[in-house]
Amino acid sequence: MSSQTATITAARPGGGLLESARARAPLGARETRLSLRNPEVFIPNLILPVVLFFIFVGSLSGFAQAHGMSNYRGFFLPLSILFAVSWGSAGLNMAADIQSGYFDKLLATPVSRVGLLVGALSADLVRVTAQGLLTATVAMAVGTEIATGVLGAVVMVLVASVFGLAFSALGFSVALRTADPQATKSLFDFVLPLFLVTTSFAPMETLSGWFATAAKLNPVTYVFRGLRSLTLTGWDAGEIGIAVATAGGLAAGALALAFASLRARVR
Amino acid sequence: MNAIEVEELRKTFPGGVEAVAGLDLVVREGRIFGFLGPNGAGKSTTVRMLTTLLRPTSGRARIAGFDLWGQPHEIRRHIGVAFQEAGLDKLSTGRELLEVQAAMHHMRRADARERAAALLETVGLSDVGDRRVGTYSGGMQRRLDLASALIARPRILFLDEPTTGLDPASRRAIWDEVRRLNAEEGATVFLTTQYLEEADQLVHWVAIIDHGRIVDEGTPAALKGSIGSEVLRVAVPRRQVEAAVSALATLEGVRETRVEGPSLTVYMSNGPETVPQVLRLLERADVPLCSLSVSSPTLDEVFMRATGSRLEGAAAREAS
Repeated sequence: MSSQTATITAARPGGGLLESARARAPLGARETRLSLRNPEVFIPNLILPVVLFFIFVGSLSGFAQAHGMSNYRGFFLPLSILFAVSWGSAGLNMAADIQSGYFDKLLATPVSRVGLLVGALSADLVRVTAQGLLTATVAMAVGTEIATGVLGAVVMVLVASVFGLAFSALGFSVALRTADPQATKSLFDFVLPLFLVTTSFAPMETLSGWFATAAKLNPVTYVFRGLRSLTLTGWDAGEIGIAVATAGGLAAGALALAFASLRARVR
Repeated sequence: MNAIEVEELRKTFPGGVEAVAGLDLVVREGRIFGFLGPNGAGKSTTVRMLTTLLRPTSGRARIAGFDLWGQPHEIRRHIGVAFQEAGLDKLSTGRELLEVQAAMHHMRRADARERAAALLETVGLSDVGDRRVGTYSGGMQRRLDLASALIARPRILFLDEPTTGLDPASRRAIWDEVRRLNAEEGATVFLTTQYLEEADQLVHWVAIIDHGRIVDEGTPAALKGSIGSEVLRVAVPRRQVEAAVSALATLEGVRETRVEGPSLTVYMSNGPETVPQVLRLLERADVPLCSLSVSSPTLDEVFMRATGSRLEGAAAREAS
């Protein structure tokens, strides 16, 4: 017991790096544990992108082949992976914690408030990466050709995860602003329209009118392009660079919003 | 030494609602301090400000010797908090919840495990420590919440209505634990309550808050003593209340008389020996007596004298 008292006494204001990490790891572990203990949320999140992949491929393969698209699985895989990393429950646990008062218990401890959000975001990044990897693995297992191979698939999931982090951060931002799980969940209702008004189902040159304009303005289009280059054409530094920059920019903006929401909640 | 010092603390919410209106208080180290008031009096807002969760509009406070404005992080190292609603994560087990709370205080994993196990034992939850919190009864959840507040051996423990909604047995279990903590571990306890019995049983010093201000404070005995050593309750027919008040005005040792419907409450400095005198005075004024009782003052009477109204929670409990 005396060693424990010494540990507490030794804690510095603001918490050192080691102390912050010591606090963040159990928070991240808790976030993951809560997701696993919520199978009614966790399982659909995990399998829906895989199911969607098979639906896209099954329903559109005839159309794609008729238009001379041989690697239609590779064409639809980025959509499924982006869906996998964006769909989900980011912030739901935090909204529930705020609503129940548990978040206040955490805020009344010496752990850094930023650390609370970083812990939750880290756990969510693990979740979305796992969802993306599962979708990519299943797609490759059924024979999807990826021009850049396994390494390209890994890069695709990693870039997509950065994009997914933007959605996670938005989820946490809504959770912190509203403290309402329902409002947090409704954010993800916008995922599908946002993904459809892109080149998700057809190349840019086939789009026209307002849809083409909207698709050009939609940043998701540029992430698609980069990921598709990995599945269809090979290593294209320009396309991948644009995708990384777009995903990174979106993530940075969303993270800034999330930390601003945290400051507003705890001020 | 003072564990808590508060000067002119105020909180005005957007819309102009002044929840705390210039609070001054001092809590001496090692005391159980009772903050007594009805719902909406400003108790929880005060606790949230003193535990660094809510920024005051103005005022100063030092908690465990640290400044509320400049050293909130230091304050958090020395306090434990259990809120009115046991804020618990229902999907975790009791043990996991305590271990996470220990990690938030930067404890090493092995220390956190040891401390969690010891606290589960202390609050009598060892046998259910590996069950999810969602399966716990209300009393068990409050005990777990108390354990989580104790995880880092806080110098000051804030308990916001820790027994509201609990059955009598669970309430007593919490009281016993608070007493033990204070006596054996020397923790200062800042306890808000709307239960007079709780304040009477548990606290060394009580402050009565109403409409965001402290209206009276002292030891429970001194507060009760300040309104008289005895309380005389006399019921007479409603139409003769005024006559009864006039008759009893000549009674010796009266500190204050209050009228509520057909009842007179007379705060006396002397007690049972005045009863024959009361009977004589009422008989002489031709006022028939419906009932008469003599009792020691309660905190409810202190509260009523200080605020002009009964404490809602006490009234509700008495009615049930």
